Amino acid sequence: MRSFRTLLWLEHRRSWVWAVSLLGSLAFWAWGIKQVLVMDAAERLGIRSGLLGLAAAIGAVILCLMIGRIRSETRHGQYQVLLLTPPSGYSHVAARYLYVAAVAVVYFVAIGFLYWWIAALAGIHLDSQSLFELILALPFYLMSVTMLPLLAWTLLLMVFISAYRISGPGWIPGTVMILGTPFVVRWLWDGIIRIAYSLPGWKLFTNAPYALIQRFGEIEEDVSVALNQGIYEGLPLEPMLILLAVSVVLLIAAGRIWQEVEA
Amino acid sequence: MLARMENVTKRYGTTEGVRGLSLDFPAGEVVGVLGLNGSGKSTMLKLLAGLLLPTEGSIRVFEAAPRASRARMVFLGETDTLWPWMTPSDAERFMAGLYEDFDTARFHELLDALEVPRRKTKAMSKGERGRLRLAMALARNAKFYLLDEPLAGIDLISREKILQSLVREWHTDEAILLSTHEVAEAEGLFDRVVYLRDGRLALDTSAEALRAEGKSVVQTFKEVLA
Repeated sequence: MRSFRTLLWLEHRRSWVWAVSLLGSLAFWAWGIKQVLVMDAAERLGIRSGLLGLAAAIGAVILCLMIGRIRSETRHGQYQVLLLTPPSGYSHVAARYLYVAAVAVVYFVAIGFLYWWIAALAGIHLDSQSLFELILALPFYLMSVTMLPLLAWTLLLMVFISAYRISGPGWIPGTVMILGTPFVVRWLWDGIIRIAYSLPGWKLFTNAPYALIQRFGEIEEDVSVALNQGIYEGLPLEPMLILLAVSVVLLIAAGRIWQEVEA
Repeated sequence: MLARMENVTKRYGTTEGVRGLSLDFPAGEVVGVLGLNGSGKSTMLKLLAGLLLPTEGSIRVFEAAPRASRARMVFLGETDTLWPWMTPSDAERFMAGLYEDFDTARFHELLDALEVPRRKTKAMSKGERGRLRLAMALARNAKFYLLDEPLAGIDLISREKILQSLVREWHTDEAILLSTHEVAEAEGLFDRVVYLRDGRLALDTSAEALRAEGKSVVQTFKEVLA
């Protein structure tokens, strides 16, 4: 346990500038949101939501760069030092993943708060359940189906490249891995679509439309019908469960490579 | 026996790093691993540390595969591996957190003895970083030390301090394998000398035997490897 704490500390010392910069960038986005002064309230809400979506996308890229760190990893043989330490490769991989995933959670929960804020600015007052769903449940769901597998894949790629030196003779398998990814993602996506809603959906934001009605007077008829007649199925659980499992498999593969690699 | 190499060959593609090495390393010896550039010294030490896997042959350290013995041996590589933000107290936290045999009091003594400044490594000279790395390595209560060129690129005064520390910190139940090009300076340390040439064992002899023949380690180095 002490060694794992030390690895987490090491991750923090190596990455805190990235983490603080990323979290600090939220102040910039909040300032940017306040600068949107379109007259129409719905349009203003839409633009502000779009800006936050952009913040989320940029944050995702920065988090991937943060977990990658290929150059700093191989420079001065620091990878060699870490390989020599007694904790297993799985511990090293888990510590790095956990640290970056924790930063991601803070970042996306903060973005959830910003969504709540722009909703409040637009005069939409969410009840406590919807607020909880916006700042915790939705970020958790979206991270499970996007960020967590993406970070795990990036970490695996980083370990693979560091281990087999993609710039040397190992570049062929590395390139195959990168080029093959879209096909694997497509195959995975098709599979998930096929089995989606085999389990009961996760019904988030069932109360939120009423807040919208309160603010804007009406909502589209099909949404209203879906809510009233119980047609709203919620978010499918299968993508979340499958992609969380995929993340674990990718992390195990990264840990295994770490165990086997030569410095 | 702390470590044993049996008929070990390591190939990098078509190039041979070492070939057919069979060596035993019991406790109680300081072994000089000597050879010209590219003779296989670093490869041999990395094989013993588990950083490389042998293409042929077998290596046992503490009766186990080298990687399984990482917690019980020290490897000090030739590359400067410290993070630029690290201070000696960061190094202490790193080592104490990852190695159970790390002795904090000994580390502080070594820092003082080696006159390591208490600042970030990026503000240290190469010699100061080398001394810090050595303090980190020697502050562990390990039994098997693999030191790959700890004197390389370090000024004369720092080299003397490092060698003095090695003498002071060495215990008879330990083994130290030291590869260096500073043969004349380190000569007095060695109990045994392993000369490598083109990845093969050229000579494995005790320093005592050399002295009995009226030869020095440096003289023999020139004779064997010239």
